[in-house]
Parts: sequence; C-alpha cells; structure tokens
Amino acid sequence: MATTRTHQTAGSQAWFGLLLAVAALAATLLLWSDARADTPAPGEIDEGQLVRLSEINEGALLIRTIEPGRYIPAPMVATDIAFDISGPVVRATITQRFENPSDAWVEATYVFPMPEDSGVDRLRMQVGDRFIEGEIQERQQARRTYETARRNGQRASLVEQERPNMFTTSVANIGPGETIIVQLEYQSVARYSDGRYELRQPLGLTPRYIPQGSDYLLASTGLANSPAVPDVARITPPILHPSVEPRDQLRLPVTITAELDAGFTLGEVASLYHATLVERLPDETARVSLAAGPIPANRDFVLTWRPADPHAASAALFIEEWDGETYLLAQVLPPAEMSDAIARRDRETIFVIDNSGSMGGASMRQARAALITALQRLEPTDHFNVIRFDNTMDQLFPEAVPASHGNIARALAFARRLEAQGGTEMLPALNAALRDADIDSDERVRQIVFLTDGAIGNEAQLFSAINDRLGRSRLFPVGIGSAPNAYFMSRAARLGRGTFTHIGQVSEVEARMEALFTALERPVMTDLDALFPEDALSEIWPAPLPDLYHGEPVTLTARLGRRDGVMVIEGALAGSMWRETLSLANAREGQGIAALFGRNRIRALEESRFQGASQAEIDAAVLETALDFDLVSRLTSLVAVDVTPARPDGTPLAARDVPVMTPEGWDFDSIREREAAPVQHARADARLFARLAAPVAGGEAERANGLALPATATPREILMGLGALMMILALIWLVTRRGERLW
Amino acid sequence: MVIGRPTHRLALGLLAAGCLVFAQGAWLGLKADIAQVLLAQSWTRAIDGESASTPWPWADFRPVARLSVPSLGEHAIILSDGGSEALAFGPTLLGASARPGEPGVSVIAAHRDTHFAFLEAVRPGDLIVVEQAGQAPLRYRVTGMDVVDAARSGIEPALGPTRLALVTCWPFGSLVPGPERYVVWAEPAARL
Repeated sequence: MATTRTHQTAGSQAWFGLLLAVAALAATLLLWSDARADTPAPGEIDEGQLVRLSEINEGALLIRTIEPGRYIPAPMVATDIAFDISGPVVRATITQRFENPSDAWVEATYVFPMPEDSGVDRLRMQVGDRFIEGEIQERQQARRTYETARRNGQRASLVEQERPNMFTTSVANIGPGETIIVQLEYQSVARYSDGRYELRQPLGLTPRYIPQGSDYLLASTGLANSPAVPDVARITPPILHPSVEPRDQLRLPVTITAELDAGFTLGEVASLYHATLVERLPDETARVSLAAGPIPANRDFVLTWRPADPHAASAALFIEEWDGETYLLAQVLPPAEMSDAIARRDRETIFVIDNSGSMGGASMRQARAALITALQRLEPTDHFNVIRFDNTMDQLFPEAVPASHGNIARALAFARRLEAQGGTEMLPALNAALRDADIDSDERVRQIVFLTDGAIGNEAQLFSAINDRLGRSRLFPVGIGSAPNAYFMSRAARLGRGTFTHIGQVSEVEARMEALFTALERPVMTDLDALFPEDALSEIWPAPLPDLYHGEPVTLTARLGRRDGVMVIEGALAGSMWRETLSLANAREGQGIAALFGRNRIRALEESRFQGASQAEIDAAVLETALDFDLVSRLTSLVAVDVTPARPDGTPLAARDVPVMTPEGWDFDSIREREAAPVQHARADARLFARLAAPVAGGEAERANGLALPATATPREILMGLGALMMILALIWLVTRRGERLW
Repeated sequence: MVIGRPTHRLALGLLAAGCLVFAQGAWLGLKADIAQVLLAQSWTRAIDGESASTPWPWADFRPVARLSVPSLGEHAIILSDGGSEALAFGPTLLGASARPGEPGVSVIAAHRDTHFAFLEAVRPGDLIVVEQAGQAPLRYRVTGMDVVDAARSGIEPALGPTRLALVTCWPFGSLVPGPERYVVWAEPAARL
C-alpha cells in the first residue's frame, strides 16, 4: 500500500507539474495574442517637425522617416542649372548634388518643380568620376528596376513625374559622407509675347487647396510675371500665404548660368527677380550668371531678352534629324502693323471674380484692383456683367448690360465691397459665365475674364465644362496671388481659346491688365494653318493651331518626310488674310526638336480626354510617345543604376532585408562642421535633428524604414493544438485510472 | 483512495482547460468567418450608397473595398484601418497608405492563417480585383513577392505609381509570430 501510495504520489506530482506548465503556457499565449494584436506603435517624433509632400513649398531633399508619408527636410542638395538657349529653343541641364552628412546609408527623395509640360529626356548619375546614363522605362518597370538596385545595395537614381509641374528624384544607397551627383536635362521653348522672350524656371512649390482626404496636390508657384520694371519685384518680394511661409533655414542653394544665342542682335537682357551679370560676347551671344552668388530655391527665376531691332525676330526655323526622322520647330510672328490698322470691335465681357477664403489678404486686393481697372476700360458701346463666387455665387445683373455710366458705377461699388470668405465652388460660376443668351451673334466678341487663384481640386470637371459649352465665348483666366495654380490656368486658357495672365503683386496689376486688354481689344488671328509641300508633312502639333492674340507668334512642331521646299503659314485676321512663306532650306540645325515634338504630342493627347477620348487609348498613346522620344511622363520614368554594388552585404538577413536608410544617430557636431564644406549647406534646424536622435520608446521599431507593418499572425492554430493536446492528455489519464473511484 | 480525488479533479480540470483553450483558438477562426458574412452585408449597403456603414453598431471601422482573386476563387471585404481590432475581422487597408487607384502604394494586411492564408497560393500574373463603392472595379496583376522585416518594410506609400501590396506574416504555417512579412506586389492591369 505504501509503495502504491508513493507511486501514486510521484505520478500525480508529475501530472500536476505538467498541468501547471501547460496552464502557464496557455496563459502566456493568451497574453501574447492580446499584446501582439497591435501595429507596432510609431515613434514619438513631434509631428510638427516632419513634413508631408504637400507641405513642401520649395525644392527640398526629404529623408524618409518611420512615419509613413512624412519626411525630414534635410539641408544638403545644391542645384546648378545651366541653360543653353538657341533662338527660342532652351536646353536646360539641372545638376543636383546630394550629400549625405550622416554616418548611415541613406536613400534620399528630392521634390522639385519644373516648368509645366517640360520635356525631361536625359538622366545621368555621377559616382566618383564615372557617369551612369539613365534609361527611359515604363513607369512601373522603372520603379522595379530602382527598387531591385536599392535592395542589392547598388547606387541608383530614378526621376519620376508626380504632377505635370512637379518631379521627384530618388537616390538610393548614398554612403556615409558621400556625394552623388544627378544630372537631368529638359527641353522647352521660350515664351514670346510683345516683342520679348521669356524663360521661366520655377524654383518654388506651393500647395493649393487640398480637398479632404487627399494629400498630394501641388502646383508651381509660378511667381509674378512682371512688366519691364525688374527691380520693383526685387524691392517688393512676392507675398506668400502665411501657411506656406518657407522655413528659412532650409532654403537650398541654386546657381544659374545661361548661354544665350538668340539668333539676332540682342537688345535688353534682364532677370525679373534676381540680380544677374550679363556678359556680351563679340559673336552676338551673351553669357548670363547670378551677380550675388547662389540664390535660395524659393522664387522663380525669370530671364527675358528682346532683339535690338524689334522686327528682327519675325521667324525662326529649326530642324533636327533624330532617329532617322526630320523634326521641325517653327516660330513665326505675324506683322504687328496688320492688327494696328483694324478698328476696335464691340465686346461683351463677363467678369468672374473669386472671393473665396483662399484669396484672403493680398490676393483679394489684387483681384479687386484688377477688376476695377478692367471695368474702367470698358466703352459705353460694350456690354458686361460681373459674377462673384465663393461657395455661393451672385450675378450683378440678370444678363449682360450696356456699359453705361450708371451700370459701371454699380459694378465698381459691387467690386469694392467684395471680401474673401468661404469655400471655392467654381463650377456654378463658370457655367453661369458660359451661359450665352445670343450664341450665334457675331455682332459682339464674347469674352470671359476669370480672376482666381485656381485653388480647386476638380479641374477635370471644369475642363469638361469649358470644352462642352465654350461656343463663341473665349476664356481669359487671370491668375491672382503669388501661388496660383498655373497648371489649371494655362490649360483652361488653351481649352477656352484665350490667354493666361499672371498677376503676382498689387504693383503689377495695372501693367498686366493693360497687356490683357490689349489682347482683348485687338482682333484675333483665326483659322491658322501650316501648309507643306506634298508628302512632306507627316504630323504636326498642336493640331489644330490655336488662335493668336496680339503680339503672339505661331509656334508649331512637325515631323517631316523631307526637308526641302517651302512652308506656308496662313491665317485670317478680321477678314483679311495673312500669308507667310518660309524656305525650309534656311532652317538652322537644332538640338532636342524631336523632344519638343514628343512633348507637344503628349500634351495634345492628355487634353483629348476633355474631348471624350477614352483613358485606355490616351494611356497607350502617351506611353508609346514617351518611350519613342525618351521623355519622362505620367507613365514613364528615367532610371539609372550603377552595376557595381556599393553597400557591402551585411548579415545573411540583411541580404534579403531592405537596407537601413533612415538617419540613425545623427551627429550634430559633424553636421555643423560640414556647413563649411564645398557643398554649401543651408543652416540646419538643430531642433529637428535633436528630435530625431533622441532615443524614443520602442527600441527596434524606431529604426523602421518605410511603412511599419502590423502583426498578422493569430495564435489560432497553436491554441487549438494545445487545447486538443490538453484534452487528450486528460482523457488518457482518466481512461488509465478508470478502475479507481472517481470521487 | 484519499489522494485519488484531487488528481481526478485535476484531470477534469485539465480537460476543461483544454476545451477552453481549443475554443479560444477555434473562436478566432470562427470570428474571422462570421465577421466576413456580416461585412458582406454592410458592404452591400455601402454599395447602395449608405454612407459610413459600420457592420455592427459598435465597430470602429467600416468596409471600404472588396478584394477578389478569381483564379483562386478567394474574396474578402477590406476594412478601413480602425486600430488593432479590425485585423481580427478582415483584411485592413492601412491608414497611412494610398487609396486603391491613387498614386502610391495601397497596403492591405491580414492574418496569414485566416483571410490571407490564400496568399501562399498566389503566383505572379494572377489577377486581383479591387472594387470600391461608386467606382469601376480596379484590376491588378501580381508582379512578384517579397519577404521583408515588419519594422523596415521599405514600402513607401506616398511615392511612385499606383501599386497594391498585400501583406501577411511569414513564414506560412509557423506557429509563432515572427518579425518577417510576406508581401505580394501587384500593379494596375488596365494597359495589358
């Protein structure tokens, strides 16, 4: 009995031990399942110090943080822009020097503005003394190429178009203390109007009205387009919205040079907002550089030039042989005397003024001043109406009325009472303006002058309305403020067959409105056509050619079957014909004309959406064009990969792992020392780095790179298995002890 | 026989505890399945235009999309990111990621042993369809798979073209949680 009892005691002790162990394990598992259910908590970095892409108001180098979609702006990109100008053709080379001041391997993303629809067609990456040529790829493919290289520890760079006027450069695997140089090139045409060429390089980005839930809408600031008084702008800097006031300490140094070969004897050469040195060379060319060294990347650079003899620049023809084809760029100016001789026509002008909250402050003053200037210029024989809108709208008169003294006085009083408030519901106001009581009448020219900052998100809707209901009306958007949505304005002007005027400061209102009214009052050249010898023309863009306002040249690109013979340009101006014959044999050899042609074709394709083309057709055609002409577009990117791996392979895990690229343990002292380094740094905000380096709770999770992923394992199987095991053990025990009394 | 009683009591206790633990595990699976049925109803309401339709009154998330993989006959209702709770009931569109169809990466995570167990069978080239209320269905094509560390996924949701990333724990069939995640990448298939 004693032995049995001893045996039983030992057995039950063993069972008891097992039971305890199992219970403990089960309890642990239950706790574990609760504890692991959460996503790893993101770090305690002060949100105010991090930025979203939509908050960037100048070119900025961003380093990714563990907060998804949030970045640390880092002060270490120096930009050099070199323009090579030949006639109206501009070739720009943008060199971005990325320096990594940290002691970790870093991936950097640089967001910067570009002229709208610029044809970016070349990317080169310099590592040490080697250049790696970029390659155009379908956008998704380029992403994959880049990400594979990043994983493999290779240096790689990727240039993507995020918006028509906003690009990003991503550079992977910049070693500690290393500098990587990324060079991209784009092609564009200088804008010509009123006897002056203008080249605009946007350097600032400003967010526009951001609809709920969307985080990523940007437009270039496109700062003021000033009249011929350049220092006015320098004395009175453009007013930025308080919400977009730049972080001074993070401005990025930019140097700019331009080689200007205008093709005629140069007259005035000027930069609107920056002090420049103009060195005139004996061969009629000029070299332009910044007078006071590097400039901050927060304000557009605008260079203008005009011929010494105002009639010298009447026509420019450039031809490029590219990939076995002949491409032509033609810019032809109709003679000014032609339109001067024609009498003014009566007009019906509808003014639409935006008094929404985003127009508050300086913008509203500019808009009011512009409207008042315009009203005072009306003749008694003209008709007019005024519509104002925020999230509501008012029409001053039920329909357009004669511009009598009394009516004008009423309109002026109405204009002076306008205050900025409320949201921006543009569509009803646009529709009201497009409502034309007398659609077939050609007694009066019908013009809609639309004063707004374009702070809207529903462009597509507005573009469709313009396209569908334009009729005989013409739309003249006037961009107000330091940061109007230039992309919306210029596209609205093209679809509305008018012109886009830009007013950046109150001091510019009079001069800019004067230029607009010249365009409004002079007759428009219509029915433009370009004629080529038989079989010579294979494609021409834009098609059809847009109407010309006073002082504007015809600018067209074409693909030709052969390059001999003559080109005839003709148009109708108030009943009389204009005809100009140009010999193609006189065309100069140009560079990048094919890229301009491709860019124009892409723009026309994108705009065909508002004429009802299907998205799939547009996508296919845009992709094909962009690949053919090596252009960065909505659907294509440039990617460069250094085949030599740079970052050494680490542990076996790291081989499959995404490399650590967030700046860990930033050393403030070394950053300060580097301020004197050859790359000129803006002053770093030390508080920002202090936040980063401060050890925060969470340990491993804080070193995250990219989006932190949640735990996605449940203890279901292990719980079920364990439960089953416990039940089986208990049953076996009960069965083996069957002979004994239970209670 | 005096000591027989407590040991038997222990044995019965073990049996009961085993039942409980088993039920706990089974409940996780059952909850996942029941939730999807309720969600499907809520989703139908959402499609019909009822706004902010939560599947049950106290839920802190709502269905935002329906994901299906026709080649495997699998489908699931995708939830908005309402914190830790949502993952137990269905795949979740992570709050920081892009909405399907918009530029950037849409990251959808789910448990490897319930809703996303089928990811193991997904192969490059498979079609994934994402439906959202009031929009045409989006078609994605699987381009590849990755295994990444949860804390350093390298997924940058705000940048780049439209992509879809389906995320679950790795390796499949493991009983314990680990730091690794399995990512299935897909891209819009419209231009094929």
